[in-house]
Amino acid sequence: MSMDYIVQIGKPMLEGAQTTILLFLISILASIPLGFVFTLMVRSAIKPLAWLANAYIYVFRGTPLLLQLLFFCFGLPVLPVIGEYLVLDRFVAACLAFVLNYAAYFAEIFRGGLLAIDKGQYEASKVLGLNRWQTTTKVILPQMFRVALPAVSNESITLVKDTALLYAVAVPELLHFAYTAVNRDFTIMPFVIAGVIYLLMTLVLTLLFKYLERRFKYE
Amino acid sequence: MAIIEVTHMKKSFGSLNVLKDVSFEIQKNEVIAVIGPSGSGKSTMLRSLVHLEEINGGSIKVQDQYLVKDGVYSSSPQIKAITSRMGMVFQHFNLFPHLTVQENLGLAPKHVKKQNKEEVRANGAALLQKVGLSDKADVYPGNLSGGQKQRVAIARALMMNPDIMLFDEPTSALDPELTGEVLAVIKQLAEEHMTMVIVTHEMSFAKEVADRIIFMDHGQVVEAGTPDQIFNQPKMERTREFLNRAAR
Repeated sequence: MSMDYIVQIGKPMLEGAQTTILLFLISILASIPLGFVFTLMVRSAIKPLAWLANAYIYVFRGTPLLLQLLFFCFGLPVLPVIGEYLVLDRFVAACLAFVLNYAAYFAEIFRGGLLAIDKGQYEASKVLGLNRWQTTTKVILPQMFRVALPAVSNESITLVKDTALLYAVAVPELLHFAYTAVNRDFTIMPFVIAGVIYLLMTLVLTLLFKYLERRFKYE
Repeated sequence: MAIIEVTHMKKSFGSLNVLKDVSFEIQKNEVIAVIGPSGSGKSTMLRSLVHLEEINGGSIKVQDQYLVKDGVYSSSPQIKAITSRMGMVFQHFNLFPHLTVQENLGLAPKHVKKQNKEEVRANGAALLQKVGLSDKADVYPGNLSGGQKQRVAIARALMMNPDIMLFDEPTSALDPELTGEVLAVIKQLAEEHMTMVIVTHEMSFAKEVADRIIFMDHGQVVEAGTPDQIFNQPKMERTREFLNRAAR
């Protein structure tokens, strides 16, 4: 296996990896805040908001991401009457599915983080005269994010790998180019290279989250 | 003049009556120790004074302002103004684990009192010295012993310059050899004539530091009086029983 060959197939694969990384970044940057909004809705005193958020989480956690992906890419356009207005760019539709799916998981992770905070923290804040907003932003959220960090790390690594599902809706990304090369050149090398590129991406994330966990160890 | 007046305070959790008609007064500069068996309502009574619990009936008057009058609470700005005059120390410290000792002390003065950085830092340094923890300013609570945590918690409450300090079993979560350092700080405050209400199981400490003892049982004040009266000549049979058992 020549170095030339690796360089030759590596180029389109790295271009494919750009799509993978773009999907990853859009998904993580949008789903974390959205997930937190759902966490707040679940805990809201306004019951219909809580029901809505719970129903949302149930649906998006309870069905396969692949189904959601197919639904947004190919399902929406065939809806009667409104379908023709819902023909989204394939990549945009895929982003939508990923963001909505991951937001449901992050909502549950953050909810767990909030449950881990002792009620004494709220009481101490109240007695010291902090208002609700100050208590939330200065006392509760920093602790919640710290508790949630390992789970968020885990989830983001899963997200990197889930981007390969784009293959199913024919958006060219890393795996697509690897598979094309395997079929064309009759060699297993492109799969190995794809694996290495995924590992590099997850390595960066692993190191980043390790750093964050150390940085926010509070010792 | 009474700094705190509690009259006919009632509190129930569901069908459980935790406080049944509790009345007492606390004078300015007085140190009160509240003693009694577990489940007697001591902590609930104390927590009600700073509005961590809402009572179902009766009145609480602090510095001539009603926190609650005949079961009806004042407006929430008034409640906030009244409770801001009181500092509270909890059994489990409740320090903020994600903030250093110094930041724990500074959080409320900075955001509630809007004090500037230099003022907060200077007050913090002075109070840390007072509780003997000047060298721990930049340490996180996770690296402190229980006794050190509780001393930080006391300093944190004092940062808000309260007129009244409330202690909810401040040494109950500590190893026996660490209670002394916390009690010494409270004793020092007593010598400075801080008005204090201390819920405690430390009988000898109560006897030594308190001006008056309130003995509670089954959600009622059974007997109140000077340490000498309560410990040496209790009027009520129930008080005698409790003290005999506590002494053992």
